[in-house]
Amino acid sequence: MSKINDTEKLDALLASVTDDMLGDDLPQYFNDNHIKVERILLEMVRPDPVQPRRVLSEQLHHKFHNNRLTPTQALRELVQVAQVSARQQGRPFANVLELLPNAESDQEITDKLSPEENILRDLVNLAITIRDDGQVNPLTVVDISQGVTRLYRIETGERRYWAAWLLRNFISGYESDGMIDCIVIPAERASAFRQAKENTARKGLNAIAMARQAALLLLTVHGCEIPNEAVTNDFYRQALELDLRGKREFTESILSAMGGVTKQRLNQYKKLLLLSDEAWELADRHGLDEGVLHYVVDLPTEVHIEMLQQIIQLGLSGRQVKAILHQTKIPNEEDTKLESPLAKFTRTAIKTIEKQNPVDFAHTIVKQQGDIHMALAYLNRFEDFIKKAREALTNIR
Amino acid sequence: MTRIFALTNHKGGVGKSTSATNIALGIVGILRNANAPNPRVLLIDTDSQAHATLVTTGRNDYGTDDSLYTVLMADRQTASQVLANCIVTSKWDENLHVLPASPLLEQAERELQGTAGAPYRLADPLAKIAPHYAAVVIDTRPSFSLMTEMALISSTDAIVPVEPRYLETVGLLSVIGKINEIREGWRIQNLRVSGLLVTKMDKRVRGHRHLLNELRGHPMLGKLLIGVIPMNEAVSYAHRSHRSIFAYDPKASASKAYAQLVGRLVKHLGGVQ
Repeated sequence: MSKINDTEKLDALLASVTDDMLGDDLPQYFNDNHIKVERILLEMVRPDPVQPRRVLSEQLHHKFHNNRLTPTQALRELVQVAQVSARQQGRPFANVLELLPNAESDQEITDKLSPEENILRDLVNLAITIRDDGQVNPLTVVDISQGVTRLYRIETGERRYWAAWLLRNFISGYESDGMIDCIVIPAERASAFRQAKENTARKGLNAIAMARQAALLLLTVHGCEIPNEAVTNDFYRQALELDLRGKREFTESILSAMGGVTKQRLNQYKKLLLLSDEAWELADRHGLDEGVLHYVVDLPTEVHIEMLQQIIQLGLSGRQVKAILHQTKIPNEEDTKLESPLAKFTRTAIKTIEKQNPVDFAHTIVKQQGDIHMALAYLNRFEDFIKKAREALTNIR
Repeated sequence: MTRIFALTNHKGGVGKSTSATNIALGIVGILRNANAPNPRVLLIDTDSQAHATLVTTGRNDYGTDDSLYTVLMADRQTASQVLANCIVTSKWDENLHVLPASPLLEQAERELQGTAGAPYRLADPLAKIAPHYAAVVIDTRPSFSLMTEMALISSTDAIVPVEPRYLETVGLLSVIGKINEIREGWRIQNLRVSGLLVTKMDKRVRGHRHLLNELRGHPMLGKLLIGVIPMNEAVSYAHRSHRSIFAYDPKASASKAYAQLVGRLVKHLGGVQ
């Protein structure tokens, strides 16, 4: 006999016998569907793979969500990357606690930290707050359990999740019961809008995260299925073909969830989805501003990464990037796209090089570019050009 | 707080496994009928004979890496996750989950004997998993061994199944005394004897009727009596076909008695926090 029949038999029998005992209502204890804070085993909680606000770097994010790393291994890799980066800068650390802010030279150091050091330092800071003051705000998690597998997907509070793991495995002297406070939301009540509001309500959501956020909301209101696994950037890029026309009823909700931005601003963020994958990752890691990135988006895809490297290395502002690009007026023809700004710079170089005075040359290019950083940027590109020319010559020989 | 019922008696064959499995399934059925948000019930088999495991999952070959034994041997930090990983779905109902027993449990008892914290090897990890369930039902082995002690330390309610026979009712007070000893000795304030369940009651036997009346008239035991399950062939046949009594023969007197018992327990659960 099938299980369905068995279940029906059981239900029929229990219904007839228990109607008199329980009446119409089940005791409140079993019917309690109110939102409450529950302590859940840390292992049963998983970050949202499509969460626009990334805590881990892109590479670690994908490794972790493709189950190639456990939470502890992911953190260990993050620590190792941060250690290498810190060592290169001449400030090696053995214990993550050494990353904690130094009261005397706090601001100065923050400016110099690599993105990985910054991520780790923020997490350590949060972990120490949880250790000292307890977890004040519970995570919001969505119950995505299936069968006997209990699983909760984080809707808000991913940083607290990683801080809890950090506290458990990387900060000695802390005894954890391995549980984390969570507000559990049934799967049918999960909301991309609630997550977006939580994300945008805080400072520090970078332009790429905002672009992902805009994409996710647009995809949601257009009924696209949001997967439960790590996605490539192309998933978010689907939103490039979507807009709010035909979905006007969601316009207000989306703009509000994005932090009260205008439609124009929303479209500006959406446009960032056009960045190449490498540029996307670099901009996300370094938390570049939309004001800088939207000039890069207009460039041919193959120069995105080069432009971003210059922006990061030289700390160029949006105004400076605009100046570079507008002065150079890149033509549309494929063959002259990269040469034009360089050609102008080269002409100046050739003119001054006859005097054989490097100081004059430096003064001239600073004068021409109007800014030492921009002059340096062009000089670097010129160097790169010369290097490639030398390689080409070697090959000819 | 999730209520955890341990069906216990140091005498074998009194219906501990039958009662544990059917009570667990009954609670699932009632909660599902009432559209409770969480109708899941966890059945933990702590008896190395693994009868409850066999009838509810159709298997009794669980071993070192997928049974209660695995949980007891796990590292303290990971034991809860190990417990969660070892849980399987019962063939009876998708909302009835089972932590299977294994014959290795006897070996576990020997290995853990004298180990610091051994009696809490089930209670500690279970405390982190139990909140995901509406109720937990534990089937114990027919002895007051370390395994039974672990089960009782994990529990909030002890239910004692007993056959209406003279010698068994004589031993009842000692069973209750033993449970109280565990409660006091380990300071398990939540644990209490919540009920006596008379099983295999044959009304045609004068001795059975007499003892049941004596029980009902007893100043303490009478108050604890929560149900009387009649002797019924359907129970044995249900076991043989690995089905619950409710599914095997819903019209059988034992089915109705178990249904009434479950209804009473659910009402009791809801009333007392």
